[in-house]
Amino acid sequence: MTEGRVVKPLAVFVVVLVAILGATFLLAVLAPGGSGPPDGQSIDGQSPPQYQPDAVDAPVDPEAGEIEIDTDTNDRRILVDTDHENQVAERDLEPVTEAVFEADHTLEYGVSDGDEFGDELDRYDGVLIIQPLQSYTTAERIALREYTDDGGRVVILAEPTQTRLSTGFGQSTATVSFGATDVLEQYDVRVGAERLYNMDDEATDNNFKSIYASPTEESDLSDGVETVNFDTAGYVATDGGVDTKFTAVEGTRTLETRRLGTYPTVVRNDNVVFVADTTFIRESDVYDADNEVFVGNLIEFLVTDEPSSPANGTATENGTATENGTAARVREGAALRR
Amino acid sequence: MVKREQLFSAMTASYVVALALALVVGAVFAPVVWSGVPSADDDEDSVAVITLRGGTTDANVNDVKQDLRDARTDDSIRAVVLRVDSPGGPVDSSEEFYLAVNRTAAELPVVAYVEGTAASGGYYGIAPADEIVVKPSSNVGSIGVIVQAPLSRIEQVERQGETFVRSGPDKAQIDKDSLRNDLEVLQRSFVGTVMQHRGEQLTLSREEVANGDTYLGSRAIANGFADRIGDSELAIERAAALSTDIDGDRYDVTYLGSDEPDLGLVAVSDDAETVQGENGVTYVVYPDDETQSFREPVEYYAVWGIPTNETDATVIRDD
Repeated sequence: MTEGRVVKPLAVFVVVLVAILGATFLLAVLAPGGSGPPDGQSIDGQSPPQYQPDAVDAPVDPEAGEIEIDTDTNDRRILVDTDHENQVAERDLEPVTEAVFEADHTLEYGVSDGDEFGDELDRYDGVLIIQPLQSYTTAERIALREYTDDGGRVVILAEPTQTRLSTGFGQSTATVSFGATDVLEQYDVRVGAERLYNMDDEATDNNFKSIYASPTEESDLSDGVETVNFDTAGYVATDGGVDTKFTAVEGTRTLETRRLGTYPTVVRNDNVVFVADTTFIRESDVYDADNEVFVGNLIEFLVTDEPSSPANGTATENGTATENGTAARVREGAALRR
Repeated sequence: MVKREQLFSAMTASYVVALALALVVGAVFAPVVWSGVPSADDDEDSVAVITLRGGTTDANVNDVKQDLRDARTDDSIRAVVLRVDSPGGPVDSSEEFYLAVNRTAAELPVVAYVEGTAASGGYYGIAPADEIVVKPSSNVGSIGVIVQAPLSRIEQVERQGETFVRSGPDKAQIDKDSLRNDLEVLQRSFVGTVMQHRGEQLTLSREEVANGDTYLGSRAIANGFADRIGDSELAIERAAALSTDIDGDRYDVTYLGSDEPDLGLVAVSDDAETVQGENGVTYVVYPDDETQSFREPVEYYAVWGIPTNETDATVIRDD
């Protein structure tokens, strides 16, 4: 009897509880949508049109071609200035050095020890100045001016003022500026205040700051060149009296002030050619676009006798200078040196 | 006689107690049983609010992807509000974010609410939304990609070449040209996505979009990066209004998110976290091991600002 008092209510408890929970479970299971559709029914793949290869693949400029230097002359000497903290290493110019060698000319780095830059210019047929950070002395400037007035040829490559990152113990930034503005100004040019950029994918080598430039007219410098690629391009500011040979392609703007314009990147003032970029001649970029052809043309400019204007002499058929005989004098000077 | 009546009363009382106890226990556990059985049907239509606060990292994006999937598979959810405060993150997970929202927007109205910032990878994800609601202080834009490449790995690459014997000229080599080419591909897919989804609203050209500028709310409205000024409630109202299944204001708001306690039964170590993946798959993600032997040489980011999670000496190169 005592057992029944406990067992029976307990049985009622269990039966009712099971009935409630069982009914709840059945209701839940039988409720519409309770089991859900198979996963596969909700799988619906996508392949957006803007992700397709045709939409995203950027053409890569082939790095091909040869630096060809085609001159009637030989044994000419080109001085690469290294006396003014020039931002160039011999290794950067190895492809150019090789091409100059194959054309039977010589590229030399810096004047001989103990010699002054200005005093030694006459021993060279051409001078290549790449991004000097140090200024030239008054004597050097005058010497360079006399050199070019006498028919010597100079190519100057420069970059606009920019901030560079230096590494080592910790990292710091430094402002790097072209240091030979006085030299440039005597040829009526300056380095433009800003770098250039272009957001048109067709106007760059896969980076907005790696812009293209094209010739403005047919000339010895543009012979065989349709497009050159400048990786740290600036522009040339001029007060007139120079020939613009290349301009940045349409749509190019200044990096800081976003001014749209037609920016000169290569100009010539008689025996001086000024290019507002230094990367195109370096090993990493020299075969981009038509850079190698342009570099070949620049070297030909440096080692060719032909005077650039009547003021400096008249070219003869065999390419030697007459009247003031400056180019011939340069050559004699170079011969003496040898 | 009296004793028998007492006994009867006691028995009755015990039955009543047992019955009462059964009802109480049943009432307690019946909801548990009910909720234990999955149900995809609910009488009241609802708008789901899904939140992404933080970078578009793998973990955050995986959470949002699962929430979006839940919203898509829940028949009661008729529209989605994506509440975002994100400066972006790695390109690969930002693309995942975009694809998940794009999938959802193809099935349900999606309204994005920019709580603080939806820049770069954050904007990548909300680009497919039907509407983008911003506050005056909301920051959107920064369309573009950067690559984080330790200087040491680029400048000393030739030293690596001498240290390791490589099977081909490009193996284990990083150079500026290849980084730029890859960056251009990622940039094109990013800008192409923005133009694909926002092209009709944008008053900016593709090139201007690709400049990578950021815009506060009012400017974003003016140039088409966003559609209207408002708060999260407005975004919910707009999402409900865009749904053809919701009748007026007869809808619930469901906040989906991974903030709820995870009652999963997967036992993991303290260092690991579980991530709900597609199809109910649970992934166990172990945090990056600082001592791991291999790392990707470079990482591409769709981010506003620069990544700060790297502790080694890295910089964003300007070229």
